[in-house]
Amino acid sequence: MTAPTRGALVRAGFLDADRSGRCLEDLGDWATDEVVALLAASPDPDQAVLGLVRLSEAADGEDRAQLGALLTDQGPGRRRLIQLLGSSSGLTDHLVRHPAHWREVADAQPRDAATIYADVAGDVGDATGTTAYDALRVAYRRQLVRIAAYDVTSDPIEALPIVGESLADLAGACLDAALGIARREVEGADRARLAVIGMGKCGGRELNYVSDVDVIFVAEPVEADDETGAREIAGKLAVATIQACSAHTAEGTLWEVDTALRPEGKQGPLVRTVAGHAAYYERWAKTWEFQALLKARHVAGDAEVGAAYLDAMLPMVWQASTRENFVQDVQAMRARVEQYVPASESERQLKLGPGGLRDVEFSVQLLQLVHGRSDEHLRNRATLVGIESLMRGGYVGRTDAHELDRCYRILRVLEHRIQLSRMRRTHLMPTDPEQLRPLGRALGITRDPSEGVVKLWRDTARDVRRLYERLFFRPLLSAVARLSDDDACLSLDSAQDRFAALGYADPKGAIGHIQALTGGVSRRAAIQRTLLPVMLHWFAQEADPDLGLLAFRRISDRLGGTHWYLKMLRDEGGAAQLMARVLASSRYAGQLIEGAPSAVAVFGSSDARIPLRRNQILEVLRAAIERHDDPDNAVRAIRETRRTELIRVAVADIAGTLDLDTLEQALTDIAAATIQSALDVAIREVERASGDPLVTRIAVIGMGRLGGRETGYSSDADVLFVHDPRPGADSGRAQTQATQVVNRLRDSLGASGPDPSLTVDADLRPEGKSGPIVRTLASYAAYYQRWSAGWEAQALLRAAPIAGDTDLGERFVQLIDPLRYPEGGIDDAAVRQIRRLKARMEAERIPRGGDRRTHFKLGRGGMSDVEWTVQLAQLEHAHEIPALRHTGTYSLLAVMAKHDLLTEEEAELLGSTWSLATRMRNAGVLWRGRAMESLPSSLGDVRGIASLLGWPLTRSYGLQEDYLRQTRLARAIVEQRFYDSDLTEGRDEFPTPR
Amino acid sequence: MDRQQEFVLRTIEERDIRFVRLWFTDVLGMLKSVAVAPAELEGAFAEGIGFDGSSIEGLARVFEADMLVLPDASTFQILPWRGESPGTARLFADIRLPDNTASAADPRFVLQRALTKAADKGLTFYTHPEIEFYLFEQRTSTDTPPVPVDNAGFFDHVPHGTAHDFRRAAITMLESMGISVEFSHHEAGPGQNEIDLRYADALSTADNIMTFRTVIKEVALEQGIFASFMPKPLANHPGSGMHTHVSLFEGDRNAFHEAGAPYQLSRTGKHFIAGILRHACEMSAVTNQWVNSYKRMWGGAEAPAHVCWGHNNRSAMVRVPMHKPGKDQSTRIEIRSLDAAANPYLAYAVLLAAGMKGIEEEYELPPEAEDDVWSLTDRERRSLGIDPLPASLDHAIHLMENSELVAETLGEHVFDFFLRNKKAEWAAYRDQVTQFELDQYLHRP
Repeated sequence: MTAPTRGALVRAGFLDADRSGRCLEDLGDWATDEVVALLAASPDPDQAVLGLVRLSEAADGEDRAQLGALLTDQGPGRRRLIQLLGSSSGLTDHLVRHPAHWREVADAQPRDAATIYADVAGDVGDATGTTAYDALRVAYRRQLVRIAAYDVTSDPIEALPIVGESLADLAGACLDAALGIARREVEGADRARLAVIGMGKCGGRELNYVSDVDVIFVAEPVEADDETGAREIAGKLAVATIQACSAHTAEGTLWEVDTALRPEGKQGPLVRTVAGHAAYYERWAKTWEFQALLKARHVAGDAEVGAAYLDAMLPMVWQASTRENFVQDVQAMRARVEQYVPASESERQLKLGPGGLRDVEFSVQLLQLVHGRSDEHLRNRATLVGIESLMRGGYVGRTDAHELDRCYRILRVLEHRIQLSRMRRTHLMPTDPEQLRPLGRALGITRDPSEGVVKLWRDTARDVRRLYERLFFRPLLSAVARLSDDDACLSLDSAQDRFAALGYADPKGAIGHIQALTGGVSRRAAIQRTLLPVMLHWFAQEADPDLGLLAFRRISDRLGGTHWYLKMLRDEGGAAQLMARVLASSRYAGQLIEGAPSAVAVFGSSDARIPLRRNQILEVLRAAIERHDDPDNAVRAIRETRRTELIRVAVADIAGTLDLDTLEQALTDIAAATIQSALDVAIREVERASGDPLVTRIAVIGMGRLGGRETGYSSDADVLFVHDPRPGADSGRAQTQATQVVNRLRDSLGASGPDPSLTVDADLRPEGKSGPIVRTLASYAAYYQRWSAGWEAQALLRAAPIAGDTDLGERFVQLIDPLRYPEGGIDDAAVRQIRRLKARMEAERIPRGGDRRTHFKLGRGGMSDVEWTVQLAQLEHAHEIPALRHTGTYSLLAVMAKHDLLTEEEAELLGSTWSLATRMRNAGVLWRGRAMESLPSSLGDVRGIASLLGWPLTRSYGLQEDYLRQTRLARAIVEQRFYDSDLTEGRDEFPTPR
Repeated sequence: MDRQQEFVLRTIEERDIRFVRLWFTDVLGMLKSVAVAPAELEGAFAEGIGFDGSSIEGLARVFEADMLVLPDASTFQILPWRGESPGTARLFADIRLPDNTASAADPRFVLQRALTKAADKGLTFYTHPEIEFYLFEQRTSTDTPPVPVDNAGFFDHVPHGTAHDFRRAAITMLESMGISVEFSHHEAGPGQNEIDLRYADALSTADNIMTFRTVIKEVALEQGIFASFMPKPLANHPGSGMHTHVSLFEGDRNAFHEAGAPYQLSRTGKHFIAGILRHACEMSAVTNQWVNSYKRMWGGAEAPAHVCWGHNNRSAMVRVPMHKPGKDQSTRIEIRSLDAAANPYLAYAVLLAAGMKGIEEEYELPPEAEDDVWSLTDRERRSLGIDPLPASLDHAIHLMENSELVAETLGEHVFDFFLRNKKAEWAAYRDQVTQFELDQYLHRP
């Protein structure tokens, strides 16, 4: 034959055509066209041809001749050899060391466990010491090349279970032979009967090419009264067995034998009796240890002892799901499965992380534990068999099971082939195209194998992540709603078990809700059936899944046949997920939405979650007022609109799209627009009654958080009412009309009704509750003129017109500006008075039994501390620093820092503390549905709030520590800046010694 | 569940133990005990024993839930003073919340957390305390000063003296509880004794100190006398300190040791000392927690009242002992400010945190104090940059209040409780009208 040209080699798939060309020359007459074609078809043609050259050089006369014959033979043998050479440089190295093993490769067929055990035992014979160790290692690889050669010439997806079983059998055979060596070496070995139990993938008969082998040793004495002596000998046997497998000799090593799954882990004794194991699992074992036992299988040594062990253990495995804390344990385990991925590997991990192999295995085992208690058919070890039995039993849907089976196989094949290539233990996708290319080709991807294989992996991992909800929740639905025959058919009891395992506190209630939602043959029920599995999954991820499901049911009942509702949840990406999060984490939002179900449209588009500005809300409100001639109806329409806007804002807040400032502005705008509209209605009503236009003009001045545009969910609307009679009007009549309007306004918003009420509070008015509810501008002026001390204007610092006559509002501001921003600042006496007021408030205002440290508003370092610090600075310096003439709190801290009234760090810390307290108070309202004034002391509330603030649930305790720390530091600043107390002054710094 | 726990359960059965006490410590360092029947212990290992902690100093509820005590099986000991059979045993316990997370109010946890933080940097903290105490004649009233059992002095051998018998009995009992005693001798004051415990990791040492105090009091009672760890019981005699030798280990290597360096002290060791010194004043309320502590501290002689270090300088707060050739592993420093009535868990936690801070931020070690600090004048000390420790509990509280280091180490809950409690103590003390005042002022103008 003629040697192929360089170009032909490149076209055939050789990358390093020069070197491979030389190799082909070296092969001489072995390099027939057929052989070259086979080489080119292997995953890595360059490796394959190089391997063949090395093998031909290593083989001596007889082997060489027969190899030559093999390569001309048409049988499957030569393809097996060439494929193997092109798949694994690691195993090529072995063939070069032991060329005679080519026969195993050529002859590769799956074989049963008995044959493998016998072959390995035969190869080791009755040797001891290093000779035996070497023999064991060679025997192991001799079998390994067989298995690999079968694997690389089969459809890898199909062959996966057989390969995993063969590898596990080979590991068992080696352990058995190793124990044989140990028995020959340990003195008195006859006194102990030792069994080796395979755990993990070895026990499950789904082993990898390169991995630790997990085992547990069980021993019984031969003579019943020799327990102590026998245990000692069994311990030596176990150590010697491990040594025979793990020791490094001239022939390398097999694998690490991992015994950490034994009772007490690494601290526990290496060997126990059956009774010893049973006692441990009965008393001490944790949930994960039972999960691990699910894989236990006798693999080597004394078969009777092994059987006795399994008889004693396995029943316990299937009761594990009834243990206390099972749900919490499982959640913690799941979190562990998803977490521990080093950031540098997260993009490449096949095994760990969401969508990885461990995720699949964990999910399957969890379902087996939950349902295997009552169904013996589920009690099997291997993951793929587990999936199949779950499907046959109807615990997961048929399609989902097939899908999961496929994904798992693909991921495992990828893992196998990556390991096989260099016989290294790794679970990372390579990044180097030179490694990706053979990997893709090994999986039969011929076009762009490097990119193709990465895409295959990513698609598969994504599918696995989606499967979670389908595996766990869809069958629940089938159980309750009886879907089509093809699907899962969980019993109601099993469904309850599963709900409980997934974190629902009231499984019966959940089933009831689902039955109600999916009952009947309507289109609505049909959509709910497809929607609910994923909704249930999302509820389960929040602080209160039961609450979420209940609210969802109520809303769905109300919206019933509304055509767009279910369509939106089904079709709009993210709508259902956001709805699930909102309902299962916020009682406040749930209650609002239940009263106005059509507001769920807000979940449908992110545009609908942009808060409306004051003018936009007013536009809606004005239209509503005009539609309703009757004042009561008009007010109802105003309050309905307010509810809709509150829902919009709350949902956007929970969705995480609002920062604190935007949220407060939005809530302020809602309150201001509501008051404005209610004022309009009240004026219209009074005018109609008198038949004339009002003889006075009215403005509403926002105070406190409303005036500062820092409104929270639970804030009342603090206001002052001011009016100004029109020229020539009768002052008595004007006052009467204004009072009528104001009372009507407050009643209409404050009265109870279907929509949430808004308390309009005018207690900050002159003379407080005993003063008239509304005064004329002149009356305010006269009243304020009586002020002399300078500190009284503090409350006015946050006054800003929010509704009513704009011009009048402006004149009110002009009236109070000289008071609140006094020329030259306030004097020392006024400062003292303010400090004293604050100190008194601290002592008196905290509710009885309240904790001074944890009250959001009045507590140590709380909002009041920060606000008063800012306000004192305003009274003292606003006359010289115009930027301080502002009604807010947060933004003024930066102004203070800029003018050296605070350091940058102080401003930063006060700001973040004030924000934290504010955000926690808001989160408290969202979570509980009513105001929460201090740090919660119940664990449930802590979790709820922590989750809304975006803290991981596992760290929710940190919330309290964090809050206390921040407020303590803030208080130290307030002590210094507000109270002007030097924390070190007055102390005996240099005490006189005796 | 582990072997240790199995061992405990087995021992209880074999030795016919009828009572099991779970010991824990309140924030002020008082030993507390929950008794459980042996049959309950198995459950206690698995799930803890619920109790209402609200009545215990500093354990007031952090959350609205009952707390759990979870026994630590490695601390199991049979109490030797309750007679052989039926016996009583004790275990130290951690305080947990219902979901098994540690309680922020548990001093043992405060120390564990500080140790974990050091362990994250690969360091283990070892301590070796020298505990001083007085033996007094038994009496019921505190109206008159206590009467010491003897009039001997430092290292005096008192033939057939009470103290001698006492120490022998105490050491026997300590050893029988697995607490190794390094050294014991008569101290300078009449009736004053010192017993040194062998060095161990700080958590074991703190547990041992709690046991030690109990044992000493128990033995004293048996002998018809009583023992006091009060920092300064007799105005004219030295107070009782708890000098503690500390070292850090990095695996098996002493991180304070560096061959050839001055005093064989490594950079790590120097930074550690610098940390202790820089934060000494703010943690003083923890290391010297009582009104009375400051009377010992300012009582002169060997009590250190100034922030400085020296080599074999017994007036310095931190002393670097003489290095013994060939004993590289025993390089250590001695902190002399601690007194015998401190809460050992909290005290060791803040000392470690201060030292670690010195290491992390590479504090520079100030120059060594070579003179007897007490013999210098105020002005001299100030020129040398030697600061005084706080003059009183009031002063110490005040300095602690502004300490981020102490807050962080104790955690917000313990920090806050501790301060409130100490302020109350100071207020109660201040409210006294003392004999001194009556003597001095009753007849003035």
